[in-house]
Parts: sequence; C-alpha cells; structure tokens
Amino acid sequence: MNRNRRNFLKVGAAAGALTLTGFPHIWSRNASLAYAADGEIKVGVLFSLTGTTAIIEESLNKATLMAIEEINAAGGINGMKITPVIEDPASDPATFAEKARKLVLSDRCVSVFGSYTSASRKAVLPVFEKQDNLFWYPTLYEGRECSKNVIYTGAVPNQQQDDFIPWLVEKFGKRWYLIGSNYIYPKEENNYCKKLLEKLGAEVIAEEYVPLGHSEFSSVINKFRSEKPSVIFSTVVGDSVVALHRQYRAAGLDPATMPMASLTTSENEVAAMGGDAAAGHFTSAPYFMVFDSPENQKFVEAYRSRWGGDKVTHFVSESSYFQVHLFKQAVAKLAASDISPVTIREAVKGEQYKAPQGLVKVEPENLHCWLRPKIGQCKADGQFEILTQSADWLEPNPYSAYPNQKCTAEGLKEI
Amino acid sequence: MSGKLTRQFLIYGAVCLCILLVPVVVDDAFLLNKYARYLVFGMLAIALSLSWGYAGILNLGQATTFGIGSYCMAMFLKLKTVPVHTGSEGLPDFMVWNNVTELPWIWVPFQSTTFSLLAGILLPALFAALLGWFIFGGRIAGVYAAIITLAVMVVANLIIIDQQSYTGGFNGITDLAEFSFLGIDFDAYSASTYYLVAASLTVTLFLALAVSRSKTGLILQAVRDQEERVRFFGYDVALYKTFVFALSAGIAGLAGMLYTIVMEFASPTFLGVPLSLSIVIWVAVGGRQSLIGAMLGAILVTGVQGALSESEAFLETWTLIMGGLFVLIVLLMPKGLAGAIEALVRRLPQAGNGRSARHTEPDHRPETHPNLGGTQ
Repeated sequence: MNRNRRNFLKVGAAAGALTLTGFPHIWSRNASLAYAADGEIKVGVLFSLTGTTAIIEESLNKATLMAIEEINAAGGINGMKITPVIEDPASDPATFAEKARKLVLSDRCVSVFGSYTSASRKAVLPVFEKQDNLFWYPTLYEGRECSKNVIYTGAVPNQQQDDFIPWLVEKFGKRWYLIGSNYIYPKEENNYCKKLLEKLGAEVIAEEYVPLGHSEFSSVINKFRSEKPSVIFSTVVGDSVVALHRQYRAAGLDPATMPMASLTTSENEVAAMGGDAAAGHFTSAPYFMVFDSPENQKFVEAYRSRWGGDKVTHFVSESSYFQVHLFKQAVAKLAASDISPVTIREAVKGEQYKAPQGLVKVEPENLHCWLRPKIGQCKADGQFEILTQSADWLEPNPYSAYPNQKCTAEGLKEI
Repeated sequence: MSGKLTRQFLIYGAVCLCILLVPVVVDDAFLLNKYARYLVFGMLAIALSLSWGYAGILNLGQATTFGIGSYCMAMFLKLKTVPVHTGSEGLPDFMVWNNVTELPWIWVPFQSTTFSLLAGILLPALFAALLGWFIFGGRIAGVYAAIITLAVMVVANLIIIDQQSYTGGFNGITDLAEFSFLGIDFDAYSASTYYLVAASLTVTLFLALAVSRSKTGLILQAVRDQEERVRFFGYDVALYKTFVFALSAGIAGLAGMLYTIVMEFASPTFLGVPLSLSIVIWVAVGGRQSLIGAMLGAILVTGVQGALSESEAFLETWTLIMGGLFVLIVLLMPKGLAGAIEALVRRLPQAGNGRSARHTEPDHRPETHPNLGGTQ
C-alpha cells in the first residue's frame, strides 16, 4: 500500500514536472479514472449523418441507438445506464479519425460503435490500436484484418459465399461474369469467389472493375448481352448498384436466365432503385427483413415504431443492433470497477446472443462472429424471398482466400 | 512605412508565440492533436493566400500538392513498418493483397529519410512549377486557370484510387510507423508533434511574409492588379506567377507531410474537392490579402466547425449553420475578417489612438476586390 502510494506520488510529481516543461504525459494521470462512473457507461456512436454515405449510415445509427434505448429501458447493465455520445464524421476518413479520437480520448468512451466503409475503418484503426480501445464494426467486409481492437459483427467472404456460389453454379451454370467497383472489397471477394469457382469447375469469362460511383453501364451491359454469362457476380457498391440494376432492366435482360448475384444489395439499396429493377436477382446475407423469427418480428416492429413505418431493416442495421446487445452481455459479466475496453474484449469472447437472424456467437480467436447465411431473391415489392438458409451457423474465417494464414488471439499466424 | 512594418511584425510574432505556448496551458493529448490538425490547415491557408491573395491565382486544387506531401510522408512511414506488420514478402500490406511481388521503383527512394523529407516539399513544388509553366506560360488566367487546377486534382485523385497496388487505393495508406527525427519521437498525441507543427507554421508564416514584403512580392501584387501593365514594363509575368505557385505548393506539401504525422494515415480524400474548396472558404473568411488573416481564418473556421458538430444541440444542423455563416461573411466582409478588423483599426485614430495606424498605407490597395478570380 505504502509502496503504491509512493509510486503514485512519484508518477504524479513526474507528470506535474513534465506538464510544466510542456511535455505532458497525461496517460498516467487519466489512467486512474474509472470508465463506468456515476452509474453510466459512455459509448461512442460514430456513423455519418451527412455526406455521401449518410443514407445508409443513418440507418445504422438508428439501429444502434434503438438497441441502447432498449437496454436502458430494461434497467441498463447491472443498474448502470449506457450513455451514447453521438458524433457525425461526415463521410470523410479524416473526420472519422478526429471524432474517434474525441470519443476515445476526450469522452473516454469504453467502446465505439461505428462506420460503414472500409476506408473509414482503416482511418480509425490506429486510434483504437494505440489507445487499446474497442471498435465495434457492423459491416460485411473483405476480411484480411486481424486486430484485437475491433469486434467484427458483419460477414466475411466465406460466410456469404460458401453456400451461395455452389448453389448458383448448380442452378444457373458455369459461365461467370465478375463485375465490381474498383477497390479492395470487390477484389478480395472475387479472389475468394475465383477459388470456389475453380473447385466447382466453373469458368470466369470476365473480371471487370468500374470506378467507384460509376453510373454508365451500357458498355458493360452490351458485354453481358454478347457473352451471355450464366451468372453475373456483382460486387458493385453504393450508387453504382442502383445504376447497374436500372440499366440492366432498361436493356431488357432477363434475371431468370442471367441473374445478378450480389453480396451488397440489401433492402436499403433496393428501396433506392425500386423493387422493379431489383426483382429476380439474388443476394446472400445473414439477415433479410422478411426472416421469420420472433426476435426479428420484435426488431422490425420496434424499428418501425421508433423511426417510422416506411423504414426498412437490412443486414447491416441488424448487426448494428445485435452488437450492442453483445456489448451489454459482456459488460454485465464485469464488476463496475473492472469495466474497461480490454476486459470487455475478453468478456465478449465466445458470447452468444439470439439476434434477429438467429443465434450468433463471437469467435474468441479472431473476434469475428459466427453467422447464419441465407440466400434471398428480390421481389417487386422491394422485399426478399428467402430461398435457402444454412443448416447451422457458419464460422468466420477472415483469411479464407489465404489458407496459409490464420487470425488467432495472439495475432496473425503463418501456417 | 517602417512603423507599420514593425507593427505587423509584432502582431505576427505575438500570434505565433501564443500558438507556441498552447501546450503550456493545454495538457490534454486529444486537444493538442486536434489543435495540431487545425494548425496544419492554417499552413494550407497561408499557401493559398500567397497565390490567391497576393498573385491573384485562384488555386482550386491546393489539396493536390497537400496530398502529394501527405503521400510522401505516408510512404516513408509505411516502409518503416516493413517487415514488422507485413506479410512474408516484406512488402507493405496492401501490396501483398494486390499480388505485387517486389517493391515498385517509385517506392524505393522512400526508404531514405532525407529523400522522403525533401521529396515531401520539392515534389509538390516541382509538380506545381511544371503545371504553372504550362498555365502561365500559355497566358491562361482567371477562371480558366482555376478550372485547370481543379481538373488536375480530380485526375490525381482518380489515379491514386485506381492504382491501388501502388497507392493503397480508396483506403489510402494506413497502419504507419511513428515519425521520429533527430532522436525525437513524434507521437501524434504528444506535445512534441504539436511543437513540430507550430514551429513549421511559424517558419512558413514568416517566410511568406518575407516574400510578400520583398520586391518579388510587390511585383506579384502588381501582376494581380494589372497584369498587362507589368508585362509592358518588361517583367516575365509567367516566371513570377510560376514561382509563387510553386512556393505555395511547397508549403502545402510540408503541411501534407505534417498532416500524415498528425492523422496517422494518408487518404485519397486528402486530394479531394471538398478539402480544396474548404481552403478557399477559410481564406475568404479570414481575408485573402492578409497571410495571418487567412491562417487564423482556417483555424477559426475548422475550430468552430469541430465545436459545432460536436455539440449535441447542433448535430443535425451544423452544416446548415456553417453554410449560413460563410454566406454572411463573404457578403458583409469582402476582405474577410482581417479586412474588417483593419478597417476598424483605421477608423480608430479619430478616437485618439494615433500610433497604431496611418491614413496612408502605400503598400495596401485602398479598394476591395470583390470578384473571386482576382485577375481580369
């Protein structure tokens, strides 16, 4: 005890001296402050409310806030309320980094829920790794990341493709046209897709990348017409998805013989392009709004009564919602004085939750989630019809395209 | 004249001193990091003030050279992480993802500290000199020059996004090593980084002041006001314009390097249209014909923007409020805040303060110059 006090004094004196000389090392000073104080637990909510990705990120913001309200209304976590600190990073990676710093350093949030694009996740990553804080990322992404400071609750390539690709090959055939936006996500998804296709003896007749935000697909559609692929595997994202679907339909192509198979077209994108343009095409995802489960019924009803009857839920807003509940379960296991980003990370390992999509679990090795992939076909009313669903939950493997690498609790391992 | 010079020198010195003393008062790592970021924007504003306010070249692509500087620093710091954070090939992670097997030639020189630090300033300057030689040599002026700078930036941005195996593409260059120089570690959250930025800002400001006060600076202002007349006097107008354009680019490049240190990544959005237009707004708000006004304009605008967007009350409306403020300032104060303050000070002598200002200010144009292009 004495020793501790002496140490404390020493540290305090050193900190004081350094402050006076103009080199403050405030870590030692702030470290004694508890994360959970005055019966509240502060968490950051970091989704763009303005800028180019605001439409989709607002729905994630809403799902996150709704989950927090639910938990607080039910008595909070061991009597403590979750206090959300909401920031608007304005769809700009630099602003994402600035706001993440504010949430972690200035507000001392114990976790931050947020972000949609990979670019924004990459921008905030150094903040969380350096401060050993925790970032909860709800979006499906390309994998190949192994950070002990991120809980990934969206799907990685193997979870969306393992069932989907063989199913499509069997149903439609072996001539595949890969079209994607030109950045890392589509390239990685296609890297894995090509591996699966090779195993199945299918052929890639074209692999094409259009610039992000591209909206003029007539030459691509002409190629569809002349090449007659049996499946168009689309990893086009954002506004381009809307343009591609509309122009496909305007060109009079038929989804029954040449369907587009997508990993990113959710109810949200369909709402933007109109159900007519999306009807007949396929998406693989762990969650669809029409999924029939008591948890999902409750989720959709609560979402619509909270945010408006015309709102849709989709596979990223669902994971935004359930990850807050996983957070709650992890924190509930801890004594109030023990709550910190590191203890929450340890507590959430192996944690299970009955999400709208079904029971999910956090994989202790790589902090990604075991999810329940489904295949949906879009209908003209803007909803999907679920055609198949995996019999069991599926393990996340962020390095699925790279069998000699494995993400473990100790970091990335070469095998 | 000399009294005014002394006064200006004193004001500049006092402001810089205040900026340098901030870490003595503020000992919050988050705030220091945030303020350092604002100071970088201040440097960008100085760069634009030189070319726009003094030489009448409206550069809508100031972020191009900022981005080049930023990427130079990011490439240098990325190579420092090899092979600790990378795959077995010992290459930056995104190259491994893109199936690149050996270090591309443009990356090789960035293994050297000296080269990288020089490149961050000289590459942008060289780039701007070439572009300037083309624009001004071709006697392209006003709006047309502005459009070219904007177009070049969009092209540069597209190239960076498209060539992702060499640039990291849309995600930019992330996961960087900490910058350390002459034995000092510049942790993004430390006072040392703040001092680095603040010192660079001070040096930049006085360098820019010296240039604006020199004979070259006077010729540039003359070019801004009456380009043809200066040309008749026998001056090589294109050369002067190219010089200030390159100088401005070098400053932006330095700012870009510092920005990478402060933000810990480089992104194609650093060469984006939104940032470039923001710089124009900062400078317009602060006063484009005053270096310190432009600099304080940038710090003020980004500071208010940060504070507004962080307060819960304005979460939904902060962009609207910022927009309204800009419109008001540009409408009511065509010379920006600095111009308004100067006008205010000039009126004061009647009230008894005789020392601080004179009625005759030979080196300042008496009239405002409301049109955006600055050149006719």
